[in-house]
Order: sequence, then structure tokens, then C-alpha cells
Amino acid sequence: MNTDETAMDTEPGSSLSGNHLLPQLVAHLREHRAKLRDEWASRIRDAHLLEAMTPQEMVAETTSVYDNYVEVLETGSVEALQHYARDLSERIIPRGVETHEVVGIVLLLRDVLARSLFEKYQRDFGLLNQILDAYEPAANRIANTVAVSFVDERERVIRQQQDAIRELSTPVLPVRERLLILPIIGVLDSERAKQLTEQLLSGIRTHRAKVVVIDITGAPDVDETVANHLVQTVDASRLMGASVIITGLSPTIAQTLVTIGVDLSKMNTIGDLQGGLEEAERLLGYSVTRKEVSEGS
Amino acid sequence: MNSGPALVSILRQGDTLVASVHTALDDSEMIRFQNDLVRQIGEVRARGIIIDVAALDVIDSFGSRTLRSIADIARLRGATTVIVGIQPEVAFAMVRLGMDMGQVPTALDLEEGLAYLARLRAVGAS
Amino acid sequence: MRVLAAEDRIEPGMIEPYAIATVRNVMATMWRRDDREVRNRHRVFDPTQPDDVENVLVASEEQLAINEALRRLTDRERQVLLAHEVSGAATQMLADEAGSTAGAVAAQLKRTRARLRVEYLLALDHIEPPTDRCRPVLLALSSADRRRQREVDAARHLLECDVCARLSEPLLDRGPVRDDVLHVTIGADPDIVSARRAARDLAAQAGFTGTDLTMLATAVSEVARNIVRFADNGDVTIELLERPRRGIRVVARDMGPGIADVEAALQDGYSTYSGLGLGLPGARRLMDEFNLVSEAGHGTTVSMTKWFDPKGSA
Repeated sequence: MNTDETAMDTEPGSSLSGNHLLPQLVAHLREHRAKLRDEWASRIRDAHLLEAMTPQEMVAETTSVYDNYVEVLETGSVEALQHYARDLSERIIPRGVETHEVVGIVLLLRDVLARSLFEKYQRDFGLLNQILDAYEPAANRIANTVAVSFVDERERVIRQQQDAIRELSTPVLPVRERLLILPIIGVLDSERAKQLTEQLLSGIRTHRAKVVVIDITGAPDVDETVANHLVQTVDASRLMGASVIITGLSPTIAQTLVTIGVDLSKMNTIGDLQGGLEEAERLLGYSVTRKEVSEGS
Repeated sequence: MNSGPALVSILRQGDTLVASVHTALDDSEMIRFQNDLVRQIGEVRARGIIIDVAALDVIDSFGSRTLRSIADIARLRGATTVIVGIQPEVAFAMVRLGMDMGQVPTALDLEEGLAYLARLRAVGAS
Repeated sequence: MRVLAAEDRIEPGMIEPYAIATVRNVMATMWRRDDREVRNRHRVFDPTQPDDVENVLVASEEQLAINEALRRLTDRERQVLLAHEVSGAATQMLADEAGSTAGAVAAQLKRTRARLRVEYLLALDHIEPPTDRCRPVLLALSSADRRRQREVDAARHLLECDVCARLSEPLLDRGPVRDDVLHVTIGADPDIVSARRAARDLAAQAGFTGTDLTMLATAVSEVARNIVRFADNGDVTIELLERPRRGIRVVARDMGPGIADVEAALQDGYSTYSGLGLGLPGARRLMDEFNLVSEAGHGTTVSMTKWFDPKGSA
């Protein structure tokens, strides 16, 4: 695509191209490209930003950002920069690059370029002012675009990871016929608790489970809301005809359950998973006899 | 019974009555169902009753209480009621609503319900 | 606009009756009464053709009502409306004349049309509204202005006022059919099932799934039953929300005796159905937000919301 003067002339509506000083400015930045880019890269190093990158990568990326930057100044269109910023974000987010680093390097470039403009035009104060007036809004817009693209991309990645972790951490395991184990590992927030309940209840239907062992050894702590949810899950499982055994109940969680008014004697709790599985086998073999005894009393 | 497709069917299998709810019932229909079923329990001297509610997408407070009433009345007449087919989402909403089935046994589906009654009979006979 | 082309063929004194036909046509189109629209279109396109006797008889009553409705507008309103609808004056031109903006004129025209519809319905029935709340409510309905409808509590007024309940029917039929709000009138047992079905359908359309759908439907069932049991009739409105985030709001209103002790009605134990048999505590637990306003002798309004992908749903 031809992005020189023709593009400038055909975009009279753009706030950037409307300024007759921008071509001059762009020409200056193009002329001193190598020098300014290196200066920028060294400022990035000094500020300890993007340390996850190798020097070669740094040269490649700074060059790309620099060229995109100048192109935005010239055309007034941030679209290409946006694409590049997303693409860059996608590459650097997995390597742990933080939002402040990305914002930091863009602000550094803004500063490096502004200083160079200052140096060039310092003898003509009026012209300098005009140049900076043209430069600053564009530079701000660029900084904004890059930051927003990065944050958007980061949020997307985080959402993806969360989904993946959720699915991994709430497996409903069919151990043997009619028996499900649900090991709960990690922090249970109400969102996860809800998902877990849905998985368990539909698991009961799919696997035609009669007994479910919920092992919460791996859950460090639960608050009252989640404890309530756990109890509701047990009750709902019963409505579907499945008995629930809870194993690995820590004293703290037991205390929480008592605090919210749960009658622990009505919950089938067993110390460890091994004991829970034995109890499950027993229930699968003798479930009717047991139920009959408890109902007849 | 009113015209149109049957909302509920009640079938007899030996001394067991199997009542299947085919669609969402409003309160009056629920009451009618209760009356029909209770009448038949007396007529056939049923020992076991299975109520299949798999077709219900909502069991609210009224629905839960009616099911429990049926089971209570049946027990007074010497019959055991098993509620089968409560769907996962329905089960959770019932619990959240604050309803349960009390002492009324529940089972996953018709097959499990029949198995439950059979085992019960075996235990009672021994 | 349609009249504009014919303007030079019509005598100056004739413009008003001609305009009436056009206004009627505009209203008929808005109400989507296709048969009448066809008849009117025929009239407008070929004004020299005499109406057949039947049409004249049917039309004369309406004609009078429209005349009356037009008369009840202020001079200014009538002037602007006729200039726009009949002479085809653009809003910009009218705005320039009045020293106003095109947007303001368009808004004024919208209000005037809304008033014209209300006055037409009143005139057609030869009635005056029974209370001073009726006109504002009807106007809010006629202009399909939901914010204003909420301000004047239109839904409650429609329950209280038979006249407005009847007149509102053609007004609610008009305008684009909204697919994010559903109203269910509650008067008998089967309506409870209809209400929870409507809620489930709308929520499913909005992306709700599984347990959330069932919890919502169950809560709607409870509040709808309260209306049938304690107030005889009322209505349930189910609305899709996009702000502050996606959700479903359910508003259940009745004009029943009201709840004397709201606190008690909302209390129960953890898992037993005690309470007052109102099903309200359960409904509250099924939803994310729950609000109850009740006034002895003036009925009860329950508003409850379920958020999509809620954080604190457990």
C-alpha cells in the first residue's frame, strides 16, 4: 500500500493528517530511525523493562514498534498498530511480560522522539510548539492503543487459562460401576463450587451412580457460602438417588459447617479417602438394608 | 380426565403402581393427580408406588409438598412411595429453594425405583 | 409525504380533511391493522374515487374521533404535525423555522403522535380518563418510552385502572415488537406455568443454561403462585438486562391485600419449608437479588434479578 503523501491528501478528515507539520515530523523520524531506535532500546534496558526478551528479539520488536509508530503518525490510522500490538501481546504474555512494561516502553519511545524533536526545533520556539502540538495527541493515542490492545489480549488469555484450570481441577472420576469420586483440589470459590455441583449432578445421571465420594483433603479452606453449597450438593445428590460420602474433612471446615447450622450427624463423613472407598463398597453391597434400618427407626 | 393428551399415566404392575408425569403440571392438575393416585392406591391395594417426575423441568414448593403428601398418605395405607427421575438441575433448585423429600426415598430412574422396591420386599420377606 | 405530490391538485380549504385521512393512515400503519391500512392507502392514492357506502359508514366514526383528537392537540403541535405529515416539511426545515434543532423537532413530533394516538382512542370511546394519572400513563405507553413508563409506574396503574387496561391494548401492540421483555398476566393456576415458561425461554435466549435456568423458573413459579393465592390477580414482567451486566429481572406485581409482616415472610430455617407458606425465602435464595415492597391494602411488588455468569451465586 502506498502510504505517503497521497494517503495524507485523501484523508482530510483525520486529525493527524490535517496538520501540515506532520510530514516534516515523519520525515525527521524516518531519517534518524536507526539512531532513535537504538536510543530507545537502551532506555528500555536501563529501565529494566522487557527483560524476558533476548537482545535479538529486542532489536526486531523495537524496530517493528518504531516503524508502526511512525506509520500511525503519518496515516492517522491505528489499525495496523492495533494488529501488531495484539500479535506482540500474544507472543510476550506467555513469557510473563506485565502491563506496566508495555505501557513503559511506549511512553519511553514517546519521550525519546519528543526529545529529538525538541533538539531539532529548539531554536525556533514557535515552530517547536506547533510541532509538539501535532505530535502529542497522536503520541497519546498510540500509547492508548497499545495499552488497550495489550490489556484486552491479557484478559483473553487469563479467561482461557481459567477455563482450562477449572476443567482440569474438577474431574468427576467413575472409579467403578455406580461409584464416582470427586476430588476437590485447590481453592473453592463460589463460581467453581457451582460448576462442580453441575458436573457432579450430571455425572450421577450419566454414570448412574449410587454412591459419590467427595474428597476435600486437597481443599485448604472453604467459606460459609461454599460450605453451604457443598451441603446443598449433597442434598441434591440424594434427591437423585445417590448417597454421598465426604472424606478428608478438616477440623476447620467441619467447624464452618457446624457454624452454618449443618447437622454433621446427617452427613456421611469418613476420615480419609481409603476409608471412604471402603464405606462406598459397603453401601453398594448393602445399601437397601441400611436404608431400611434407618427409615424404620 | 379432561380432553387432550394425558398429563399423567398410572399403570399397575402387580402390587406396584407406576405413575408417570408427562408434562409440567399446574397446581390444580397436581391436586387432581394426587387424588387420582390416592384413589387407585386404595382400589388396587398397592404396596409400592413409583412416581416418575423426569418430565418435570421445575419442582417448586407446591410440587414438592404434593409429592410428599402423596407419599405420606400412601404410607398410612401401607405402601412405600419412591420418587424417581428428578433431573440434576431440578434437584439443585429444589435444595436451594429449601425443599427436600424428607423420608421419602428417591432413585435415579424407573429401573432403580423398581429395584429398590424389589429389594425392600426381599428384606421384608426374610 | 404521500399527500405532497397531490397538493397542487387540492383546493386550499380541502387540506385539513385530506390531512385527516393521512393521519389515520399513519396511525393505521403504526397499529399494523393491515386491512384498514389497505383501505386507507386506496383512499389516499386516489382521493377522487368515491368510497363505497360500507366504508363510509365504518370510517365516519373514526373520522370524528380523529377530528376530535386533532382538536385536542395544542395549536403548535397540530401545526407542526400537519406540516410534517401532510405538507412533507422536513424536520430540518421545521427546526429552522422554529429556531430549534432537527432532533428536537423529531422528538416533538414523536410526542405529538403519541398524544394523538391516546386522544384518538379516548375520543373513539367517548370517554374521559377516570383519574389524572391515566393520561401520563397512556402517553408513556403510546410513546413506548420505558423510562417514563417506570417513572409513572405504568404497569401498576394498568392493574388498578380498567379503562387504561383496555385502552392500552392497541397502544402496546404498536411499535417494534420487543423481544427482551415478556408480560404474563396472572389470574389462575395455569398462568404460573406460563410465567415460568416465559422466564425460562427468555433466559435461554439470553444465554443462561442448566441450573441457572431451572433456579430462575422455580423462583418465578413461587412469586407467581403468591399472586394467585393471596391476591387473585396481578402480573409478572420478565426483562432481559444488559446493564450493569447481562441478567434477567423479574417483577411480580399484585393489587392484593399486601403482606403485613414482610420480615416474617422472608424468614425460614435452612432447609425446611416453614415460614408463612409464601415461598418467598426460597425464591430469594434462588436469585441473586431480591427486593420486596408491600403495602397493606395496596398490594405487593417483588423484584428479583439473576445475573448471567454471577460471581456470588452460591
